Amino acid sequence: MREKAISIANLSYTYPDGTPGLQGICVDILRGESVGVIGPNGAGKTTLLLHLNGIFVSKNGNVEILGKKIGKESIKGIRRDVGLIFQDPDDQLFMPTVFDDVAFGPINMGLPREEVIRRATQALRWVGMDGYEKRLPHHLSVGEKKRIAIAAVLSLNPEILVIDEPTSNLDPRAKWGFIELLRGLTMTRIIASHDLEMVQALCERVIILDKGQIVADGPTERILVDVELLQAHGLAPDNQAGQSHKQH
Amino acid sequence: MEYPQIDRYAGLASPIHRWDPRAKLVAILGLIFSVVLITDLKMAMVGLAVAILLVLVSRIPFRFVLGHLAGVSFFILPLSVIILFSYHQGDEIARFAFLTVTSGGLEHASLIAVRAFAAVILIFPMISTVRFDVTMKALERLRVPVRLVRMIMFTYRYIFVLIEEVQRMLRALTSRGFTGGMNIRTLITTGKLIGMLFVRTLERAERVYRAMLSRGYEGNLQTLVEFKMRKTDLLKAAVLIAIAVALNVL
Repeated sequence: MREKAISIANLSYTYPDGTPGLQGICVDILRGESVGVIGPNGAGKTTLLLHLNGIFVSKNGNVEILGKKIGKESIKGIRRDVGLIFQDPDDQLFMPTVFDDVAFGPINMGLPREEVIRRATQALRWVGMDGYEKRLPHHLSVGEKKRIAIAAVLSLNPEILVIDEPTSNLDPRAKWGFIELLRGLTMTRIIASHDLEMVQALCERVIILDKGQIVADGPTERILVDVELLQAHGLAPDNQAGQSHKQH
Repeated sequence: MEYPQIDRYAGLASPIHRWDPRAKLVAILGLIFSVVLITDLKMAMVGLAVAILLVLVSRIPFRFVLGHLAGVSFFILPLSVIILFSYHQGDEIARFAFLTVTSGGLEHASLIAVRAFAAVILIFPMISTVRFDVTMKALERLRVPVRLVRMIMFTYRYIFVLIEEVQRMLRALTSRGFTGGMNIRTLITTGKLIGMLFVRTLERAERVYRAMLSRGYEGNLQTLVEFKMRKTDLLKAAVLIAIAVALNVL
């Protein structure tokens, strides 16, 4: 039996304006697993991800990462262990140059200069972006920015990779190239998306989140063929739409 | 898309480009302060000549500098014109209806304009001969208050994102029939647009901050830089500082 990478017990979250965000989330994710979190817009996917490295902290301390409860003492280590990649790379890449951005995490960890350079260079090579060190983020394409956003997290050597909508705004070629890149990574991966094609290509397990609740959790090959389940949660066109489509 | 690119010519090769950015910033900034403090028109002319000479040495196309000066003239020229007609000293040299121009007024107005143009021109060899990200690191190493450097840094990173956001919003307005013009509706729409931009910026700031926290940000924003001060760097700085002193002492 593999160790638990993430353990969430009865996690609930309410937005500051009172709308419920997450309700009674219970889930365990094992080391090395690749899990897709799918659900319609506004289902709470991003909110859930933000709990995984302590950006949102539940008061009951019911999120455990690699056996450690998220709290004041553990937060630094947890943020090193959990690499969170945001949907919009313009949010993720905030430093003036590509190198500065990829080096940002290792510098914060207090690593010596040579190690920072080594890690940043290696991370850029992993994502196929070596030679981009001195480029400015705003001159890059979305696909390039996304790759660099991954490098910026890989330079921290995270045990768990949490990725929000990795393929949004990518054209098919960039998308499949990016999927290949993610497939090559071996750490525990949690990928939130409604791109089912990508989830099928990358994840062995799928969790469906709707209205802040987990409504299904199982192997990808079982969940993604359950058309009724997908339809019920806005992840597949419903029958009427499909039929009227055929009539035309 | 056209971006304002202050460091477009940072890739050229010249003695100014090769100059250590820290020494360059300090020396030229000293010169700028010296120029704006000059009280003698002849010395101000010398200052202007030095400024132009530095631009020539730096090989930045003068067209590029002139392009930026046009915007600055918008502020400088009206001020000079007002001084020209309102500062009365010495002989009267011209009269237009109720306005008189005196020799003192002419000298004063010219002094203001020459000083201002010289100071603005000096910014180009200082800022445009080095990539802006390096300038920011130099400022950091010169112990300019960290908050200020970070503000400049984030402005530089996100100004382009913001420009694109505005362009997208304007495009959306135009494609739905908005034409603008001098009317109250335009004002209201523009006001709402600016309001939306504030909201979006605030939301983005929140997301960026989360991304920073996620990568271990604890209030310390550092970068790796390698600056090397050579003797020639100090020599160049010494020459410019000497000129700066001479402009005000001689």
